[in-house]
Amino acid sequence: MKCDDCVNLLEAYVDGEVDEHESERVRTHLMTCSSCENEFEALTAESELYARYDRELQISPAAWSGISARIAAEPSAIESRERKDVRGWFAGLFAVPRLGFAFSGALAVLLAMFAVGYLYLRTQPEQRLLAAGGSGVRVNGETIENRAGQPEQDPGDATNHPVDGKQLVAKKDQQKYRAPRVDDPGVLFTDAAYTDGDTASHLDQAQKLLVSFRSLPADDDDDVDVSYEKSESRRLLNENVVMRRDAEATGKFPTKSVLGSLEPFLIDIANLPDKAPASDVRQIKDRVQRTDIVAELRSY
Amino acid sequence: MNSSADLVSRACRGDQEAFRLIFERYSRPVMSFIYDQVSDRGLAEELMQETFVRAYRSLKTLRSETKLSTWLFGIAKNVARESLRARIRQNQHLNLDDQQVLDLSDCGPVPVSQLLNKELNEVVQRALALLDEDKRLVFTLKVFQQCSYEEIAEITGFSIPKLKTDLHRARTEMRQRVGQYVRA
Repeated sequence: MKCDDCVNLLEAYVDGEVDEHESERVRTHLMTCSSCENEFEALTAESELYARYDRELQISPAAWSGISARIAAEPSAIESRERKDVRGWFAGLFAVPRLGFAFSGALAVLLAMFAVGYLYLRTQPEQRLLAAGGSGVRVNGETIENRAGQPEQDPGDATNHPVDGKQLVAKKDQQKYRAPRVDDPGVLFTDAAYTDGDTASHLDQAQKLLVSFRSLPADDDDDVDVSYEKSESRRLLNENVVMRRDAEATGKFPTKSVLGSLEPFLIDIANLPDKAPASDVRQIKDRVQRTDIVAELRSY
Repeated sequence: MNSSADLVSRACRGDQEAFRLIFERYSRPVMSFIYDQVSDRGLAEELMQETFVRAYRSLKTLRSETKLSTWLFGIAKNVARESLRARIRQNQHLNLDDQQVLDLSDCGPVPVSQLLNKELNEVVQRALALLDEDKRLVFTLKVFQQCSYEEIAEITGFSIPKLKTDLHRARTEMRQRVGQYVRA
């Protein structure tokens, strides 16, 4: 054994923390190495000094009295805890799961957020229309409604008759085609915090949607089944409106610009009937082609 | 008949006499350990009582494979640490005169045989008080309470390598402060 090895083991050796084999090696080394022997004697002397350390502590008789008094009620506490344990076990078999404070709090906050969101949507659909569509749905100076050449819908139509996706489709099926609108409560319904990654993913999906739409067969006059593109467009439109507003609020103007360019296409597709007239499909396809929106999305 | 396991078992059933025997057996080492941490006799006794009250309340949680002394030291460690934290929050200082401890190194060598026990105790106590909390904890458990590394790890929650390092550093610091008395 080398001195370094011995010194490293010496404290553990004095503490009785080395195994028999190591102890033997240390003992053998100490017999032959005066330097390590001196170190060992120093450690032993320290241990003797510490062994003489007397704190002169006296435990007063009152100490146990104090403890005894404090635990006097504890035996019953122990027994009652036992009884409670048995009762609790049986009660637990039939108990409704108990919600912890943190979980309950989180649930309350969530419910409050839903309630606020619901009330907001119920009371301010027109403001949302303006905020969402006012800046982004204009194309070439015209609103979507005006471009389609359709009269603007009575505001009461949206507020007095909330329309979900299916109702909207059925209604439009009856009317064959109707001007696209952006104040569709089935489309615009939520706010969320989005990251740049979310935006990139959103634009990628939108680009794929437009490519898919562009390849739809609409050469003859038969109605075109756009149900998939329509539902996908509704989902993306919802995201798009919120993302555009977020981008505007956070000063991300290039992002806001590309989202603003995309939005009219999403609105147009989202508001097509499931079996859309080929002429309407061709119109949107032509616009997709003409505006190079797909290239713009790709280059983002 | 009065093994620790028997006493614990009886105390769990509400036998206060059994718990009193546990107290008699372990109160001194527990109070010594606490005193080494807080350096205040009155407080040490108070905290020792608190330790045994908490132990009584938690007796049922004592696992059979755990040594009673290890378990009690673990509770005492928590009680002492809480007290130290409270004192820090209240911006109080240890009762020891630290400057006096710092001046120890200026003293000439004094043979141990000539030191009164009281003086030696003061030297050791002040040297202990200058160790940081973790080192003091490990050092007192090993050197004064003769706990094994595994027991210290269980009491403190430290890993074996950490406690070995702390113990070595504590020994080195203690040697610097009391070594001259050892060499004499």
